[in-house]
Amino acid sequence: MLRFIIRRLLITIPTILVVITITWGLIKLAPGNFYSGEKRLPAAIEKNIREKYSLDKPWYQQYARTMANIVLRFDFGTSLRFEGQSVNSIIWRSLPVSAAVGVLAYLLALVVGITVGSIAALKQNSRWDYSSMALAMLGISVPNFVLGPILVLVFSLGLYWLPPSRWGGFPSKNLILPVLTLSALYMAYIARLTRAGMLEVLRSDYIRTARAKGLSEKDVVIKHGLRGGLMPVVSYTGPALAFLLTGTVVVERIFALPGLGNYFIQASLNRDEPLIIGIVAFISITLLFMNMLVDIAYAYLDPRVRYH
Amino acid sequence: MSSINWKQFSAFVLLASLACSGLSCTVASSNELYWGKTDPPQRNIFRYVTGEEPESLDPVVSNGQPEARIYMALYDGLVEYDPKTTAPIPALATHWRQNGDSSEFMFYLRRNGRWSNGDPIDANDFLYSFRRAVSPKVASRNAYMAYYIKYAQPFNEGKVFVRDPSNGKFLQAKDFDESLPAEPISGSPIDQAKSEFQPTAEESQPPPETAFHQALHSPLRLTIPGDEKARTKLLNSNAKLKAAIAGKELVPIKGEDIGIEMLDNYTLRISLTLPAPFFVSMLAHQAFRIVPGKVVEQYGEQWTQPAHIVTCGPFKLKTWRPYDTLVVERDPMYWDAANVKLDEIHFYPMSDNPTIMNLYKVGEVDAVLNHTVPNAWLPVVRTKKDYMDAAEAAIEYININTTRPPMNDVRVRKAFNMAIDKEAWATWRRIVKPLTAFTPAGIFPGYPQPKGDAFNPEEARRLLGESGYPVTKNQDGSYSCPKFPANQMEYIYNTQESTKNMAEWMQAQWRQNLGITITLRNMDWKTFLTTRAKMDYTGFARGSWGMDYLDPFTFLSLFYTGGENGTGWEDPKYVALVDEANRSLDPVKRYQILAQAEAYMLQYQPVIPIHTASANWVKKPYVKGMYPNPASLFAWKFVYIERDPAKWDAGTPSLAD
Repeated sequence: MLRFIIRRLLITIPTILVVITITWGLIKLAPGNFYSGEKRLPAAIEKNIREKYSLDKPWYQQYARTMANIVLRFDFGTSLRFEGQSVNSIIWRSLPVSAAVGVLAYLLALVVGITVGSIAALKQNSRWDYSSMALAMLGISVPNFVLGPILVLVFSLGLYWLPPSRWGGFPSKNLILPVLTLSALYMAYIARLTRAGMLEVLRSDYIRTARAKGLSEKDVVIKHGLRGGLMPVVSYTGPALAFLLTGTVVVERIFALPGLGNYFIQASLNRDEPLIIGIVAFISITLLFMNMLVDIAYAYLDPRVRYH
Repeated sequence: MSSINWKQFSAFVLLASLACSGLSCTVASSNELYWGKTDPPQRNIFRYVTGEEPESLDPVVSNGQPEARIYMALYDGLVEYDPKTTAPIPALATHWRQNGDSSEFMFYLRRNGRWSNGDPIDANDFLYSFRRAVSPKVASRNAYMAYYIKYAQPFNEGKVFVRDPSNGKFLQAKDFDESLPAEPISGSPIDQAKSEFQPTAEESQPPPETAFHQALHSPLRLTIPGDEKARTKLLNSNAKLKAAIAGKELVPIKGEDIGIEMLDNYTLRISLTLPAPFFVSMLAHQAFRIVPGKVVEQYGEQWTQPAHIVTCGPFKLKTWRPYDTLVVERDPMYWDAANVKLDEIHFYPMSDNPTIMNLYKVGEVDAVLNHTVPNAWLPVVRTKKDYMDAAEAAIEYININTTRPPMNDVRVRKAFNMAIDKEAWATWRRIVKPLTAFTPAGIFPGYPQPKGDAFNPEEARRLLGESGYPVTKNQDGSYSCPKFPANQMEYIYNTQESTKNMAEWMQAQWRQNLGITITLRNMDWKTFLTTRAKMDYTGFARGSWGMDYLDPFTFLSLFYTGGENGTGWEDPKYVALVDEANRSLDPVKRYQILAQAEAYMLQYQPVIPIHTASANWVKKPYVKGMYPNPASLFAWKFVYIERDPAKWDAGTPSLAD
């Protein structure tokens, strides 16, 4: 197991470097600059800015400098758009916001999704099964940029119960709508995956054996059924958690949350090179790490999976 | 799914959608006087959405309007924008005077100005801040605003003077460039008998004469690039210059060389390269607001961090959580603190219009930035008493790439302009005013704005035919123009709801009136800017322009420096007319000549003017002292919260006194 983890970590590092290099290249290819605006700057001012930020150097020097700072000091540099703010500080500042919303949405999705999915599987073809799966289908088909505004319309503008947007700290009422909006899709997916997984497992031989041994229905479902039935859910939720943690562009935009996703989209639109690279690297690291956790979790859940 | 369950499912969907639509109906059709809640906040705290997250709290860094409004809370300058007209009103300068041709200005500072740390403000702070604003090292995007100040432009461009070591004299520009216009008064030697500033009643004698002032009052010095490569290139193309410079000394231009001089601790004299009657109105811009030299030098780029920042405006920084809230509180050190009515302002950085409007409706913010009410919401929101309906000093237009056929033919350009029914567009857009000229309508009092060509589809078709693209009428009444190379042309715009609406509208007008269908192409903002700036398009590109200062020249200057306007149109006669206007000592005559220049430009139709923008924002009725002025910039010290509903604003507050 330890060897497996070390091997995975060793692959991770070059992967991240390749991701950073590709990102860097794409930014350089994209037209426009962080300083361009409706009012075109005189050539001299543009030249001053390019000198100030070393953008006048040849591309290989810029690349070498960026990479050296990242590799040697894990320093992504200073944001071009937000003068004097280091990329590292921006990431550490916005991560808790994204993570708070993401983790809550994740937990909500897991709890509701697995419960609903299991019940639907146990009571297959019942009214409960059909209505919950219809709802899940709705959850999958309604994009969060539609769901979010509808929730705001009903609960904020119609009933004046909840604030329509903005970050209110943790915990606060402001979290409810973004968390609901964000978790809907995952909740629905998890419910469907759980149901499908459980249905398959409940028909398998070892469940029949467990029942034949005279185990209580509770033990059969929770100890044996869920363990196998959750395999698809696990492989889905690992990367899902990574995405939820690192910010979701749309929800953070709709609810004006100061999270990573908001920074990411703005950084891309603003051509803020160091910030884009920093966030991309951070998301990649989180994603790769979560995938590794999924693989480890597999080993615990399924004795047939072994690591060499 | 069995049939029974399908029914259940459809019933559920029906119920859910009914619930939603029912709610949205109640939301949309409420007959209330105002849009949403109108409970004033408990304390004198004003909550405002100013737009995007500020780039920096350093006033020279950003040229954006969202930042400008924050800078107006934190920093003071010589003058401030009038809350109603945006004309300059006294701030750190109590009064000022100008010489005969508006090329030299005296500013008299108040003596009770203080920084937020208690240090006094004097003329030294202005020397420091103005020099810093144009320093090439600082690389401010706003530096061009200060180019009128003598030698500020060559300093910002990294240029050098040329001095003859034998006699210590500087080479003069006029010896190498005959086209140089006549010197402004500040550029010619002073005739002591006719001193520029005659003493006023309070002063016993004219301002003192200094060596620095004499130097500014000698003919303009020659400046050449300081950069070796650029200089060699220039010298190789100009043999006369090369010969003159051989053996001479190159003197780098320093901040100390630019035309701002401190006569005593509270008197400043500023000399300009060219006459600029609008110079004082420029000085409220963030480029000219002062920064604390000591703090900036000590902390470098980090000086704006909450731990270090020192400011001089009516408010000082309290907390700053990026992309969340920027809180400023009343600064007791501010010279006019007694008249600052708000305790705090909370700036919320947001840019999604529906999100902003929602926050406003539930009463979590008291006012929002301009251009915020989405077009689809206007029918409802516009009828409310808290909707701000006023013209802005901003225009929307279409650039034409005049360098590529067929648009290099002025008749074709005119045809495309005349084929657009701008009145109809303005009616559909509801809040804008149709525009045929390039300066916004009704913003500059006394400016005889010229009229461009009106909507005239007949004439448009005739002009197209005359230029070789006959328009024929089809049997069903529509038109076609088979010879026109429409497939090679496009209309580019940046991805946004409002710009898309405009593009589609224009496309429909041209199809309907000329039988020509232009392809639309949208791009992300930065890609669009680059494509337009490089003129990498054939046909049309969306354009918009807002004022930097309260003068028509802020619009007309777009065609003054050639090649930077995205159309490729430039004309020496236009430049000469504008120069003549700005040299004119009589403001009425100046406006007349500027209007002539504008009319001259419109004849060539490098752009298709579309409309004068509308302020289009909302504020709660209890917010007073805040007016939909032409620049959408608000001097915060005048803003207050009125708790007596009888004194609330019902409708757009009047801009007239």
